[in-house]
Amino acid sequence: MGEALAGLRRRRWRTALAAAGIALAAAMLSTAAVVGYGLHTGFQRSARGADLPDVIARFDRQPLSRIAGRLAALPDLAAVSFRLEITNAELAGAGHRSRQAVVELLSPGRRGYDLLAGRELSSDPRDAIVEQGVARTWGLHLGSRLFLDGLGALHVVGISQSPDNVAYPLAAPRIYLSRPALDARFGAERDPEVNFAQLWLRDRDQLDQVLVQARASSYGIRGLRVITREGVRVLLDQAAGIVIALLVALSAIALLTAAVMLAASARAEVQRRLAGIGVRRAIGAGRSHIALAHALEAAIVSVPAGALGVLAGYVIARSPSEQLLEAINELPPGAGLAVPLLGCWAMTALIPVLASGWPALRASRRPPIALMRGAELRGRWGRRILRSRPGPSGRFPTGLAALGARVVSARRVRLAATLAVLGISVGFILLMLALASELSALESDPGSLGKRYQLTASLPAAAAARVRHVSGVAAVAPRYEVQALDSYSLGETIDLVGYPGDHTVFEAPPLVSGHRLTGTEGAEVGRGLAQVLGLDPGSTLAVELPSGREARFRVAGIVDSLQHDGRVVYVPARTLLAGEPSAQEQLAVRLSAGASPAAVTRRLVALGARPSATGGATNRGRSLIAALSAILRAVAIVDGLVCMYALVQALFLTARERRATIALLRASGAGAGTVRLLLAGAAAAAVVPAALLGIVLERFALGPGMARLAIGYASLELSAGPVQIGVVLLGLAALATGAVLWVARQAAREPIVAALSG
Amino acid sequence: MLDGVDIEVRAGELVAVLGRSGSGKSTLLHLLGGLDRPDAGAIDVAGESLVGCSQRELARIRLRRIGFVFQSFQLIEELSGEENVLLPTRLPGAPAGGAARARTLIGELGVEPVSGHLPHELSGGEQQRFAIARALVNEPALVLADEPTGNLDREAAGDLLALLRGLTDAGRAVVMVTHERDVADAADRVLEMADGQLS
Repeated sequence: MGEALAGLRRRRWRTALAAAGIALAAAMLSTAAVVGYGLHTGFQRSARGADLPDVIARFDRQPLSRIAGRLAALPDLAAVSFRLEITNAELAGAGHRSRQAVVELLSPGRRGYDLLAGRELSSDPRDAIVEQGVARTWGLHLGSRLFLDGLGALHVVGISQSPDNVAYPLAAPRIYLSRPALDARFGAERDPEVNFAQLWLRDRDQLDQVLVQARASSYGIRGLRVITREGVRVLLDQAAGIVIALLVALSAIALLTAAVMLAASARAEVQRRLAGIGVRRAIGAGRSHIALAHALEAAIVSVPAGALGVLAGYVIARSPSEQLLEAINELPPGAGLAVPLLGCWAMTALIPVLASGWPALRASRRPPIALMRGAELRGRWGRRILRSRPGPSGRFPTGLAALGARVVSARRVRLAATLAVLGISVGFILLMLALASELSALESDPGSLGKRYQLTASLPAAAAARVRHVSGVAAVAPRYEVQALDSYSLGETIDLVGYPGDHTVFEAPPLVSGHRLTGTEGAEVGRGLAQVLGLDPGSTLAVELPSGREARFRVAGIVDSLQHDGRVVYVPARTLLAGEPSAQEQLAVRLSAGASPAAVTRRLVALGARPSATGGATNRGRSLIAALSAILRAVAIVDGLVCMYALVQALFLTARERRATIALLRASGAGAGTVRLLLAGAAAAAVVPAALLGIVLERFALGPGMARLAIGYASLELSAGPVQIGVVLLGLAALATGAVLWVARQAAREPIVAALSG
Repeated sequence: MLDGVDIEVRAGELVAVLGRSGSGKSTLLHLLGGLDRPDAGAIDVAGESLVGCSQRELARIRLRRIGFVFQSFQLIEELSGEENVLLPTRLPGAPAGGAARARTLIGELGVEPVSGHLPHELSGGEQQRFAIARALVNEPALVLADEPTGNLDREAAGDLLALLRGLTDAGRAVVMVTHERDVADAADRVLEMADGQLS
C-alpha cells in the first residue's frame, strides 16, 4: 500500500488526470441515475404513498345509493370511496385566481392521495387540502386562506400529492373539502349525488374480471369513464418519456465513457510501466502479485474519485429532477436513490481496477527480458504504424500538424475510443441544443403550434373589416374558442376552435392523416386527443359543450398540434356557434411581412381593441419546460466536461508516450510554438472526425430517434441547425485549443535530456 | 557534474571525448548543444553564446548551428527515412533549401534506395545514416554525436566513423563522446574525462 501511494505521488499529474476522468464518468452516471431512477420509479412510489385506487370511475352525477348498489355487486372489492368532483370552480388565494379549479368533495373512506404536510380534513367545513402544485405555484402554506366562489373563505390544513393526475399548473388547480362537514354546515341531501368513485381490489390480478363485471353492471350510468391505476401510469409516463429516453442515452454514453476511457488510460499506464513489471518478474514477483499491485493503485484513485463524482452528479441533478417529479405529481426517491448511486460508485470504482489489473496480468505473462526492453503490450487491434507513402523526392509530404495527426493515429484503439466518446458527446450536445431550441419555440413561438397569426384583438366579428384596413395587417378573421367538457379519462377539457372560412390561413398545424376540414360537419383533431380517444379519419367525435348540448363531428383529419397537448379540435365556426352561441370571440390578426407588431398593436388600440401577442405552448406547460431545460443544461454541462476530459486525456497520453519525439524536435531547434502545432495536429485528428461523426449521428440517429419518441405528442424537428452546429464546433475548437495549450506547456517544461532518455 | 572543463573545438576538427559511464561526458555534450544549462562558465558556438539565452534563443541556435546524432538514432517511427531527414527543415526559422540538401545528403550517404522505408524496416547502419543526414540537413557548424556507434556492429561502426571524418572535410566541427578507445582513436584529438574533469 505504501509503495502504491508513493508511486501515485510520483505520478501526480497522471494520477490527477485519471482521478478527474473517473470523477467525470461517475458524475455522468449519477446524473443519469438521479433523474432516470426518480422518473422510472416515481409513479409506483407515489401511487403506493397515496394509496392510489386500482380503478377510478368518473360518470355523470348519480345518487350515491344507486352507484354504491352497483359497485357492491362487484367481486373481490376491498374498498370503495366516493367524491363529487366539481370542475370550473372559481378559486382564489395568495394573489392568484383560477376559474377552472377542481373541487373534490370527499365522502368518508380511503382518500387516494398522500398528505405531504398538515392534517386530514376535520368536521370544520372551512378546512381545505390543496394539491402540492397549487401550493407551490401560488405560494400557499398551512394556514393560508383560500376563497372558493359560492363557499367563501377556506383554510389550508393540508397539502397533498395526488398522483392520479399531473400537478398544477400542468393540470387545473385542485382542492379537497370534506363532504360530511359541508353537509353538517349546510344541510345534507337525503341521497347525495356523486360523480367519482375509487375502487380498491383485494387482488390486483383480478382486475380484468372486475372491469368486465363493472361494464356489465354499468348499464344506465351515463358518461362512465374508467381508468385503471396502470392507465394513469401510462398517461403520466408520457410526460416523462422523453426525459427518460434522454437519460437512457446519457447513461449509455456515461458507461461507454467510463469503460473505454478509463480502460484506455489504465492500459496506457501499464504499457508505460512494462519495464518495471519486467524487473519485478525478474526478481521473482508472481503474476497475481503484480496484477493485484496495479489493481490496488487503481483502487486508491478510483474509490474516492468515484465517490466524489457520484456526489457531484447527485448535487447537479437533484434539484431539476425533483422539480420535474413535482410537476408530474410524483414523489422524489429519497433514500431509495442510495442503491443506484452506490451502483454507479461501484461501477466507476471497479472499471479502472479491472482495466489496470487485467493488462498487468497479461503483461506479466511475457518473458521478463522482453518486458524490460519495453516491448509493446499489443492487443489484437494494438498499435500499428501507418505506412508512409514517400512523396516526390526531396519533399516532406506532411506538415508538423499532420505529423501530430499521424502520431495520435498510431494508437488506433485509443483514437477510436476518443473519437467514439467525442463523437457521441458532440451528437448528444447537438441534440440537447436542438431540443432546447424546440422547447423554447414551444414556449414562445406561435409558429411551433401551427399558428400563423401574430396578434389577437378583443373585438367583435363585425370589426374585422375595419381591422383589415389597418396598415401592416395582412389578414384578419374572427376566431371562436370553446372549452368543451372532458370526454376522456383524465377529465381534461378540449379546446374547440372555429373560423368562418379557411382556418389554415391562421392556424395550420401539420396534417398527419385524412384531409383538411371542409363543409360544416368535419373536424380536424389534434393527435393527442385522437390517441386518447382512439379516433381516426372517419370516426365520430362527441363532445359536451358548456351549454350542456352535445356536439358531434366527423373526423376529417388528424393534425399535429402542440396546443393543450394536442387536445384541440378545429371545427367550422357555424357548427360551433350553433352548439355554443356564447363561444369566446376574438379577431385573429395576421401581419404583413416585415410589419412591426408593436406598430400594429398601437393602431389596434386606437380602434378600441385590446390586442395581445399570440403565445406559444400553454402557460400551464411552462414549469415542465423549465424543469426539462434545467435537466438539459445539467446534462449538457457534464457532457461538455466529458469532451474536455477526452481531449485532454488523449493529448496528455500522446504527449507522455511520445515525449522522446517532442524532445527530439526541441533538440533540433523547435520552439514551444512547434510543439503546440504538433499537438494541434494530434487534437485535430480526433476533433475533426469526431465533430463530423457527432453531426451525422445527431442528424440521422439521435434526432430522428428522439422525434419518434415524441411522436405521441407532435412532430418535433430535432435536427441541429447551422447556428447550433457552429456553436458546438466553436466550443469544441475552444476546448481543443485549451487542451493543446495546457498539454504543450506541460511538455515544454520537461528537460529535453530527460525526455530523450525516457 | 563537470568541474573546470575547458574545451575548444575548431572548425574541421573531430574531437572524441572518452570516458566511462558516469564520467560526465554526456553532460558535456548536452551543455555544448544547449540542451542543458551550466551553473557557471561560458559556452560559445560559432560565435554565439549559449549562456544567458532565452529558451527561444537556444532553440534558434540549435536549429541553425548544432546537429545532434544520438546513440539510439531517435528516428520518428511514423516517418520514412527521408521524412525524418526533412523534419528539421520544416521547423520555423530553418534555412531555405532544405529539401535539396536532404536529397543530396541521402544520396551521399547511400541510403536513397531505402529512403521511403520506415525506421523499423531499416538496418541499424541505415538508421544511423538517416540520423546523421538529419543532423546535417540545416548545415550546422557543430555536430555532436553521443555514442554514435553504440548500437552498431563493427563494420557499420567503421563506416560511421568514416562518415564523421568526412564531415570535418566540409569545415564542420564534430564532437563525439564514446567509451570505446578504438572508436576514439579515429578522432583528430582525444580528450579523456573522469569524474567531471577533462584531461
